[in-house]
Formats: sequence, C-alpha cells, structure tokens
Amino acid sequence: MKKKRMQKRFLIFMYVLAFVLLREWLLPVMELTDTGHMDLLLGFVIIAFGFSLFGVTPFISIPVKLLYIAWAVHYIYLDVVWFTLRTATILFQNLASNFTLIVQGDWENITDPFRTVLFFILLWMTTYLIRHWVETKKSIFLFYMTTVLYVTLLDTFTPYSANGSIFTIMLTGLSLLGLLTIMRIYGQDGTRFTLRDLLSVAAPLFLLVMVSGVIANLLPEKDPVWPDPVPYLKTFVGGTLDEGDERGVAKSGYGPDDSRLGGPFLEDDTLVFEAVVEKKQYWKVETKNTYTTKGWEQVSVGNTPYEFYRPRMVMDGGDSQPGVERGPVGTAKLKMVEKFPFLVYPYGMTKAITDQNVTILHLSESGQYRTTVGEEEAFLDFYELEYVDHSYSLQALRATRMESYNLSGENFDEYLQLPEELPTRIGELAETITASSESVYDKAKAIERYFASNGFAYDQQNVAVPGEDEDYVDQFLFETKRGYCDNFSTSMVVMLRTLDIPARWAKGFAPGDTVNYADGEQIYQVTNKEAHSWVEAYMPGIGWMPFEPTIGFNGPADIDYDLEMKADDPEIPEMPKKERDRLEQKKAEGEKKEAWTLNVTKAFETVGQSIRENKMILFILFALLALVSGGLYAIRKKWMPKVIISMSRSKIDDWETYANRYRILLKQLDRSGLERESGETLNAYAARVDGHFGSDRMKQLTAVYEEGLYGGNKTGHDWARLQKMWEDFMNGTTD
Amino acid sequence: MSAKEKIERILNNIDRVMIGKRDIAELSLTALLAGGHTLLEDVPGVGKTMMVKALAKSIGADFKRIQFTPDLLPSDVLGVSIYNPEEMEFEFRPGPIMGNIVLADEINRTSPKTQSALLEGMEESSITVDGETMPIPQPFFVMATQNPIEYEGTYPLPEAQLDRFLFKLEMGYPTASEEIEVLRRAEKEVPLDHLETVISIEELIVLQDAVKDVAVDDIVKAYIVNCANETRMHQSIHLGVSPRGSLALMRACQAYALLKGRSYVTPDDVQYLMPFVFGHRITLHPGASYEGITVEEIIESILLKVEVPVDKVPLHE
Repeated sequence: MKKKRMQKRFLIFMYVLAFVLLREWLLPVMELTDTGHMDLLLGFVIIAFGFSLFGVTPFISIPVKLLYIAWAVHYIYLDVVWFTLRTATILFQNLASNFTLIVQGDWENITDPFRTVLFFILLWMTTYLIRHWVETKKSIFLFYMTTVLYVTLLDTFTPYSANGSIFTIMLTGLSLLGLLTIMRIYGQDGTRFTLRDLLSVAAPLFLLVMVSGVIANLLPEKDPVWPDPVPYLKTFVGGTLDEGDERGVAKSGYGPDDSRLGGPFLEDDTLVFEAVVEKKQYWKVETKNTYTTKGWEQVSVGNTPYEFYRPRMVMDGGDSQPGVERGPVGTAKLKMVEKFPFLVYPYGMTKAITDQNVTILHLSESGQYRTTVGEEEAFLDFYELEYVDHSYSLQALRATRMESYNLSGENFDEYLQLPEELPTRIGELAETITASSESVYDKAKAIERYFASNGFAYDQQNVAVPGEDEDYVDQFLFETKRGYCDNFSTSMVVMLRTLDIPARWAKGFAPGDTVNYADGEQIYQVTNKEAHSWVEAYMPGIGWMPFEPTIGFNGPADIDYDLEMKADDPEIPEMPKKERDRLEQKKAEGEKKEAWTLNVTKAFETVGQSIRENKMILFILFALLALVSGGLYAIRKKWMPKVIISMSRSKIDDWETYANRYRILLKQLDRSGLERESGETLNAYAARVDGHFGSDRMKQLTAVYEEGLYGGNKTGHDWARLQKMWEDFMNGTTD
Repeated sequence: MSAKEKIERILNNIDRVMIGKRDIAELSLTALLAGGHTLLEDVPGVGKTMMVKALAKSIGADFKRIQFTPDLLPSDVLGVSIYNPEEMEFEFRPGPIMGNIVLADEINRTSPKTQSALLEGMEESSITVDGETMPIPQPFFVMATQNPIEYEGTYPLPEAQLDRFLFKLEMGYPTASEEIEVLRRAEKEVPLDHLETVISIEELIVLQDAVKDVAVDDIVKAYIVNCANETRMHQSIHLGVSPRGSLALMRACQAYALLKGRSYVTPDDVQYLMPFVFGHRITLHPGASYEGITVEEIIESILLKVEVPVDKVPLHE
C-alpha cells in the first residue's frame, strides 16, 4: 500500500514534466494557426492527466472528458457558459452536419466546431499515449525525440521562433528521460523506495541537466557555417519561399525603386510594349550608380546634368567612339501599352521620332530620356527610334589596360562607389577570378563568365532577401548562389568596382519574344517578365559597354572578331555560330582527335559542374541514403530472412541448395545473437539453438546437413518439407 | 537385423547386469568393434570383471582371465610346450591369451617382461612360442585393468606400450542409487548366470568388417589431424600424439558411428572419443604436471580451439 502511494507521488512529478512537453506542442499551433483558447486545451490535458494519475475508472473519466469537450466547444463558439437546450441543439446540428461532408470527402468545408472536437480527440489520444509511455513503458524517448523534431522543424520552416522552447524542452525532456530510467531500474525487482531514495539518485541527473543547460545558454552561439539549406529543401519539395513579414512575393515588372533587391518573383505576362525592329535589342531605361548593400539608388553628384532634345534631333548616342565599328542605321517602332514617362531605347540610339509635341530630357548620369510637356510628364503611345548598329573591336578591347583609367583624366568616383561594410571576400573573389586576365575587357569577361559555372543557378522563386547585417551580393555569391538578373548584375558591378573598373547597373527590358514576321521586320513583344538588369562597364579608350552576367541571357554587345584567335580563347564559345564556323574552317586540318578529347573533357566538366551545382541536394540524398542503409543494416536480422526466403524459393531442390540455406540459417542465427561457439559442433549447437527456441527443428535440419556434409549422403530427403521447416525457422528468428 | 539393432541388443544385454555404466559398455564395444583393446584404470571392485564377462557372454565368445602377479611368467600367459610321451613329441598347451575376450587383471603388478608378452600378442594378434608363430583366434579383445599408479608394488606400463591400447577408460564409482540397484539385483542370485548370448561370433566379425565401411569425410580427417597437431605443439605437452594415435582415433570414430547407427563420422564422434584415445598417448611436461594441469583439461582446451569443420571449405594447410 505504501509503495503505491509513493509511486503516485513520483508520478505527479512525471506528469508535470510531460505536461510541460505537451504544452510545447500546443504553443506553435496557437501561433501558426487560427486557434485560440489555449487555456481550455491545457485544462483538458490537466483533467486527462489527473484522471490517469488517480486511476479514475473509464466509466467516469470518459463521460467527464466528453462533457468537457462539449462544454469547451460550446463555450468557444457560442460564448455562453452554460448549456441550454437551444445552444446544445445548435451545436449538435452543427457537428452532425459534418458527417455528410465526411462521407462526401469534402474535407475543406468541415465546420470549425467539428475541427475543434477532432483536435480535442487528438489531444485525448496523445495524453493516453503519454500515460502509456510514462506508466507502462517507463520510456519517453520517442515522445521527447518527436517533440524536438517537431519544434526544430517548425522553427526552421515557419515564422515560429522556438528559441525559448528548445531550452525548456531540453531541460524537461532530459529530466523526464532520466527519472523514468531510474523508475524503470527500481521497478525491475519491485524494491520499495522512498522519495529520499529517488532524490538522492536523481540529484546528479538534475545537476547534470541544469549545468549543461546553463552552459549551453552561456556559450556564444556560432552563426551557421553551412549555407541555409531551406531554399534548397523547398525547391526540392517544389514549394515557394515564404518570406513572410520581410517581403512578400513580388511581381516582375519595371519599377523605379531598387533600394531593396531580392525575394521571389512571380512571372507577369502583362504586355508592356511591342517593338518592330530588325535585330534583337536590349531596351535600356536607365542606369544606377550607388550600391547600398541591399540594392541600388541613383545618387547625383552636384547638379544633375541634362540635355534637351526635340523629336528628330540627333542625340549624343550617335557619336562615334574609338574601337566601335558603326554599322547601318536601324529603326525601331515602339507601341507602348504601359505608359512610361521615359523612353525605352536600344543601344546606339541617335534619334527619337514621334508626332507628339514633347521635350525629351536626357539625364546623362542615369542615361534616362524623360518625355515631358512643359513641367508635366508626357506619355508617348507610339514612337520610332533610330539607332546605329555597332560592334566592338576585339582587338581594341584586348588592348584595354587598367593604367589607362588614370591617363584619361576622367573622374569615375561615382562608378567606383562601394559601401564601407562590403565584405572583403567579394574583392578577394574578384581578384581570384581575374588573376589571369590582362586587359580590362578580359577581366570583365572573366567575371561575366564566372556565373556560368561555379554552382550558380537562375531561379525566380527561391531567392533570399539579405538580412539586416547581410550584404545582398555577399549572400548571393557565397551562400545562396541562386537568383535572377538583379543578383547577377549587381554582383558583377560590385566585383568590377572592387577591381577599380568603373561600372554601373543598367536596367530596362530584355529583347522579348518574337511573335510574327511582318515585311521582313520582326515584332517583339515585351512583357513585364522581360524587365531586366545588366551591367555597363567603362572600357578605357572605348567607353561604356554592356555586359550580361545573368545565366541564360545573351548580352547586347556585338563583338567584331578582328583578331587571330587561339583555340583555347575563352571568347570562342561566345562567338556567334557564323563566326565560329569560319574560324573552324580555317583550322580544320588534323584537329579531329583533339576535338574528341575536348568532347570527353567537356562531358566530364558537365558532370562535374552538375555535381557542384547540386552539391547540397546530392549531400542530402547521400545522407538520406546513408541513414536508410545504416538503419536497414541495424535491423537486418528482421528483414533479411524474408528477402532471402523469397529469393531462395525459385532455387532447385537439391542438396546444394539445402546446404546453402543451412549456412544462411547459421548466419542468421549468428545475427540473432546465437552464435556458434569456437569448437562447438553443429550437433551441439543445434541442441543449444533448439533449447533456445523450444523446438527440435534445428536438430532435424542439422541432421540432414551433417549427413550430406560428413556422410556424402545427398539424396533421398523430402526437400519440400525441409524447405518449409527452414522457412518457418528463419521467420522465427526475426522475432 | 541391422547392425544398429545387433549392437543395441548387446548393449541392452550388458545393461541387465551393469547398472549405470552404459557409456563404458558402449566404449568397450566400440573398442571391440574397432579391433582395439581397452585399458581400464580403476580401483578394484567397481565392476570391471563383470563388464568384460557380460560382453563376452553376450557375443558367445571364449572368455579368459589372467590375474597378473609379480611372479607371473610370459609362458603363463602365452602357453607352454609339454612333451607328450605317447605321441613322442612336444605338444603346445595354449595359455590364457588364446581366447576371444581376455581380461588382463591388474596388469601393472607383473614384471615388464610378462607385460611385454601380453602387449606383443595384442599388437600382432599372434604369439610366437619356440620359434613357431601362432595366430590368436578372432575376435580378440583384451581388456586390461590397472590399479592407479600411486599404489605400492606396481610396474607402470611404459608410454610406448600404452599406445597398444585404443582406449584408456576410468569406470568410477556408481552413484548411491545405482549401487542400491546393484545390491538389489544381487540379493537373491548372480545376475550374470542368467545372461544369454545375443549374437554369434560370426555376426560380430561381420560388424567389425562393417566398421571399415563407415565413411570419414576428408574434412573430418583434417579435423582429427588438426587436433593431433595441436597436441604436438601444445606448450604443456612433452610428447604429443603420433600418427598411430590419429589413426586409432579415426578407427574408433568409425566404430562409434556404427554403434550409433550412422554410416559416417561426425566431428561429435571425434570430440567425444578424443579424451579416451589421446589421453594416454600424451606425455605432459614435468612442469605442467607439477602445476596440476591434467591431460583432460588440455584436450578440452584443444577441442575448444580447433575449428570444427562445418563446410566443404578446406581447412588451413
């Protein structure tokens, strides 16, 4: 009798700890879902634990719990404290209406009161399970582990912050685990023990838990060493990144504010304008000069210089530049759908033609052409642009040198601006990438090309937003490596600037999709999703030149290959096909073999690159594989016999098969912890095994095996019967 | 009647007079079937004579007994030639060795010379008297007994001659209940008198021939050899088991397998018989005996150490 009371006193303690753990399950539910009345839920848990603690008979406890649930639902949804016939009927009808919904499988429309009832039942089952774990099994490890997993997963993937919870769970969970272990050991021989006994044994446990808790709390927390796996995991599952309060999913499109870049994009197919033009063009709007660690701003130095143009006036874009070969004049006819108070224009624009009486204001710093009437903004519906088709001489580009910047005497400060807190590793990376490049152009090209490999991926969905003390470029280059044009272009501009190459961030629209051909001209439809950003870098002696670091885009700049190219020139893969063919024809002789080797190397490179790009996924896959195989290996004595049995069914029934089966059985017994001892004969072993399993099957099987092995008598047995016996025995060893 | 049934009948027959000594009876019969001889080392009065007599009677064999005393001469064992005045020639009077089953009682109390005469006869299955060699009638089975060595006035058998015996057995005292049963049976009559012959000598010779047909797989032979090798390499053993010892063990195993109704030898046979076959063929280092290590312990450790063949894979060569 005394023992019983003692047990109860300890049990109270266990249940309090279990209650704390269970509460940690409810907290995120309250925070993440539209659930309230935590006190009512906790009250239910207390009642359930109380009943099991005092061993209340189910005849009382079940009705009381049902009543409580009914009352709670009543209270939550009807907001009255006491049942009346009317309220009870309403509630009952509401609940009853769900059964038809369930039968129809219409889960979406199940009413809230019913959901609450279901949740109570779930709680009920959980309390019952906890009771089983605490009182019968005296092991709470499973519950503890799932609690930790549950809370950490929620902490990782949802806005729920489990900082305090993890600490509480650790303290209560470990204490509960330890106490139950003590109880289990005590319970084994039925020894009576007092609270004092328990406390003296448990004191070191509490001390350890406390000390480790305190130490864990005091120790400095290290920032994550690995890149945040969440975006990868989410891509893996196919979901989208939910940035929650930071920044919602944006729609693609042109907007003037670029001060905070990052975050996922939704493609928006709204047409912005249509262009009739012979050649694919990048449609530029403006450039920005100041990088803020989070995005771009245009900061003017002193007064903003600008020029006025009237339609049909020749603009400065038509000036000839050294190293740029001027081609024929082209025209682009634009029909605007979205109204912009500025022009979208191709590189090399010389004239804007429109019937509307507007003034075109050219802000030379940002390169924007604003359309105005008087002081007001003007929106053009149609306009025609003349531009000079031009290409850059590779010879001139290769001749560009860093020293030339100083000689030019121009002030590039605004295009070399970098935030002070910019992490130094960006500059170091840029140095590494361009170490072997001599000309300015090659340096820029090296950076542009850098993104094509090295694990970068174009992605509009899983794009991170830099945190308060994070750098947008740094995050992209070293952590996420996933992003769209803004990530690539900004990173390239910043890297160029760390190398003292003047660069600016250009934005506008990508060429768009060709829809049809009219009179040899092509109509390009440019939608919001073509909104794009790229890079302009200043090539000494040549001028501003566009670069395109974004994966999957071809840049706007044409290169005139006026040089003898070496076979390994990095420029070659980027040359247009026509140019490449010409080059290859020249050197066609005797290169077949080399080409083959190149192909193989390339194949390996592709494989290597895809491995690099999917490192995290591969790692996770590998880890999963390792886990699964480890687990399978650990429980092999459970499943291997089944596999072996089904595999061996198809074999011919003869002595060889039988002998193999017998040897497998020996191995299986060995795995089951019944290994044959050194110097033990099969016969003696069989006797021991049979003693263990309480049968004589091993003896029978062994006799046949011995007869064949030692006596050479390999025929005349009922193989089918032996196989049956063997299978039964193998299956029996897995229990 | 199969071999097993015949053997079973002999053993049951012996069981009627020998209580609780089934194992000794089995081993004696094994030795008989294998054509070997047995040395029983034990104190007098535990039933050695009874065992041999019961065995002899069961197979209807000619039973002879030689009581060895210090003054016994070789001719007392082998027999003498006596001049027959009527026939005018010497006539050979066979000694007690010329029987089917011979009990050589207290063999260590006689002089080495007489011991040799017996042992030579056991080895050769024939005797030589006055330059004439005479075969000993088959089956020929000697069960020699000796008092434990430490008794006064004995001539311990030399090691080389112990090798002539297939088994060296110890009988041991019966348990209390067994002994009561012995007394109960002997209360009114002599049980041995009522013992009947269950098989003929001819049938026994057929059984002896059948022993040679019992299969010994190469892996079992290898097992025997490995065990013998271990005795030669063991640090506590001065002199290990000779190839003759291995051969004896194999033959004994064959006979024992037949006795158990099997047509093949298993490692269990080897393990069971090894102490009886190897025990008296091993000489310990003086140091080991001094430390109280017994031959039985060493054989047991060897059996634990040597790998039992459970597969057709050849053992280490």
